[in-house]
Amino acid sequence: MKKTLVFALLLALSVGFFAGCKPVAKQPVTLVFAKGDAVELDPADVTDGESITVMNNIFEGLVRYKAGSTEVEPCLATTWDTSSDGLVWTFHLRQGVKFQDGTPFNADAVVFSFERQRDPNHPFHQYGKWEYWGWCFSEIAKTEKIDDSTVKITLSQPFAPFLSTMAMFTMDIVSPTNCNQWKDQWMTHPVGTGPFGFVEWVKGDHVTLEKNPNYWGTQPKIDKLIFRVIDDPSSRYLALQKGEVQGMEFPNPDDLPKITQDSNLTLLSEPGLNVGYLAMNMGSDTPGFQKPFADVRVRQAISYAINKKDIVNQLYKGTATLAVNPIPPTLWGYNDAVQDYEYNPTKAKELLKAAGYPNGFKTNLWAMPVSRPYMFDPKAIATAIQADLKQVGIEAEIVTYDWSTYLQKTEAGEHAMCLLGWTADYADPDDFLYVLLDPDAAKVGSAGNVAFYRNSKVHDLNKEAQMTTDFNKRVELYKQVQQIVHDDAPWVPLAYAKQTLVFAKNVKGFVLYPTGDYHFDSVYFETSK
Amino acid sequence: MKDSVLRETFRYTRRNRSAMFGLFLICFFIFIAVAAPLIAPHNPLVQNLKNNLQPGFWADKKTNFLGTDNFGRDILSRIIYGARISLTVGFIAVIIGVLLGMTAGVVAGFLGGWVDNVIMRIVDIMFSLPSILLAIVMVAILGRGLDKAMIAIGITYAPQIARIVRSQTIVVGNNEFIEAARAIGTPSLRIMVVHVLPNVLSILIVYGTLSIGSAILDAAALGFLGLGAQPPTPEWGAMLADGIHSITGGYWWVETFPGIAILLTVLGFNLLGDGLRDATDPRLRKKV
Repeated sequence: MKKTLVFALLLALSVGFFAGCKPVAKQPVTLVFAKGDAVELDPADVTDGESITVMNNIFEGLVRYKAGSTEVEPCLATTWDTSSDGLVWTFHLRQGVKFQDGTPFNADAVVFSFERQRDPNHPFHQYGKWEYWGWCFSEIAKTEKIDDSTVKITLSQPFAPFLSTMAMFTMDIVSPTNCNQWKDQWMTHPVGTGPFGFVEWVKGDHVTLEKNPNYWGTQPKIDKLIFRVIDDPSSRYLALQKGEVQGMEFPNPDDLPKITQDSNLTLLSEPGLNVGYLAMNMGSDTPGFQKPFADVRVRQAISYAINKKDIVNQLYKGTATLAVNPIPPTLWGYNDAVQDYEYNPTKAKELLKAAGYPNGFKTNLWAMPVSRPYMFDPKAIATAIQADLKQVGIEAEIVTYDWSTYLQKTEAGEHAMCLLGWTADYADPDDFLYVLLDPDAAKVGSAGNVAFYRNSKVHDLNKEAQMTTDFNKRVELYKQVQQIVHDDAPWVPLAYAKQTLVFAKNVKGFVLYPTGDYHFDSVYFETSK
Repeated sequence: MKDSVLRETFRYTRRNRSAMFGLFLICFFIFIAVAAPLIAPHNPLVQNLKNNLQPGFWADKKTNFLGTDNFGRDILSRIIYGARISLTVGFIAVIIGVLLGMTAGVVAGFLGGWVDNVIMRIVDIMFSLPSILLAIVMVAILGRGLDKAMIAIGITYAPQIARIVRSQTIVVGNNEFIEAARAIGTPSLRIMVVHVLPNVLSILIVYGTLSIGSAILDAAALGFLGLGAQPPTPEWGAMLADGIHSITGGYWWVETFPGIAILLTVLGFNLLGDGLRDATDPRLRKKV
């Protein structure tokens, strides 16, 4: 009996052995990318970068950004016209496109995707929070089907950045059949028209995508795309070194010298559309308001007191450039005539004295608890700022909460000073200057403008720029806004972070987008010679 | 009587070499803490970003003997000043724990009955929670900061001390001299303070010494989690947390030296505590 068993085992082993010698069927080309986990998988409902990365590879919108730029190009719509008053946009849709589940893409799908977000009576409205719709698309009055391949969108007021915002993930087109099938479970069963189809999502572990064989555009060169969840940047790097993953995002700045020296890795780095800043709470109606910050001299003194250059060089370690304006120089409309406040503690002390605080004052400085794309180590930045402020007599206590509480409390203005940042969703200064510095955005409780900076002149200029379609005029308006913001100093802009990704040497073809989107359809493995 | 017990304990402890080494470590760190402004080469709070993450003596850098941290602050000076914080936290937390635990233990053990029952059930409830978790919950209620961390740690130590003191009180309470005191009409409070307390003191000293080590460790843990000392305080646990991103980059000294400081201090208190316990236990005493 025992002998037969041994024999059987041997046989099984030898079969296995020889099976290995046969020419194997072509292995699927798999790329594993290390990042944080997604929150959910409905393109219109997500707000965080980790989820958006997954969405970008499954879904597409009517228009998209040209690879590596912020220029809008046709995607699911081939052409579009706009009425002379800029209120009616007609999109002509691409023919013969199918969703990954086989549903044909047509005007109904577009109307479904947009109306479920806009119309509170839509049967699918209840399945999401649709936050971005409220932030960026409130000017859309309705979306209508004209025929199977034509869609008309009517705006309630002219909105110059409209076409740019149409390239955002929020406006991605979803399969109505699939939504009907899954109802509230749809968030975890996404189906779009993009180059990759969804396979599975194991929360906290990985998201797997597979090549969409019926993709209308150029076929992706990899068969399988796995997003593995590794939260800690240093662990990601170790996994990449071991070959467990072939790519990763946001390396720890301390690891950068080692990464650049490693001949098996490629470091991709490019300025992104983001800004990391220190906001000073000027809103006297907020619970965290402190009197000194109402005085422009105090705010300017703080701008002079912080040694931004050393912070960017020594703490960001070359992963960022020094910030001067609220918008990054990679974006059009950047005002390079603005002269930054240089590091000058003596001048800061003079200004504090003039403002009536010769011995400084006590305050608090809030720091995010987590690493963000625009600020790798917020606590370290806060500690450095704390030491700089102490030099001019300002005693700042560092305060921190968990991430969602932090956002809530800063939106409610419970801070005196806080660190925060912003990554643009669409390439328009409006996405910085209106969303982050306009009085409209300074509502206590849901403020994007956490400095609670309310300057009616800024508001007028912002509104005018939204309604103007003349590009040069808009550039001029936004330049004026930047100058006013600089003089009023509600912020100390700290750094424009570069987006950095690391890939194994043989991974090629990845294109960085200024918006920070990751598209994997162009990625391929270079075979060794 | 109490003098002789303590003196005897110390005499036996002196023969225990590892306990003496522990005592030496403790004295060493106490000296560092007291003399910090005299011996620290730099101000522990002054940052110099341009000089950050520099190596120390092993790379022939004389100015910063143990290197600099992420903010260019001198690690040696921070460790020296950190000794002040860690020792203070250790002592005060344990004093809080001892005061609470001793009172509860003596009262429960001496009065007995329903008082004993109530106190010991509360102690049981506190025992059912892991001490560090309890401390984290306390900090969440009291707020962040070193002072609150001390109180939180002190409270989590009280139940253990209460239990030990209670059992010792029961033993002492059965002695004839307590009965005699009661017979001549001494009030309960006076009996507890004058007659019971001195007799449980030796066990409190032993247990307290052992606890200081773990209190320092717990304070460092809270500091590491960002719940104890707040920046820029040079607390050892917080130093570890600050340096966490620097390890993979090859800046090992940022983490290593504060870690060694915690290790040696806790080791010191544990060795001395073990020695004291052996000395008070008659069965173990013969082996020394």
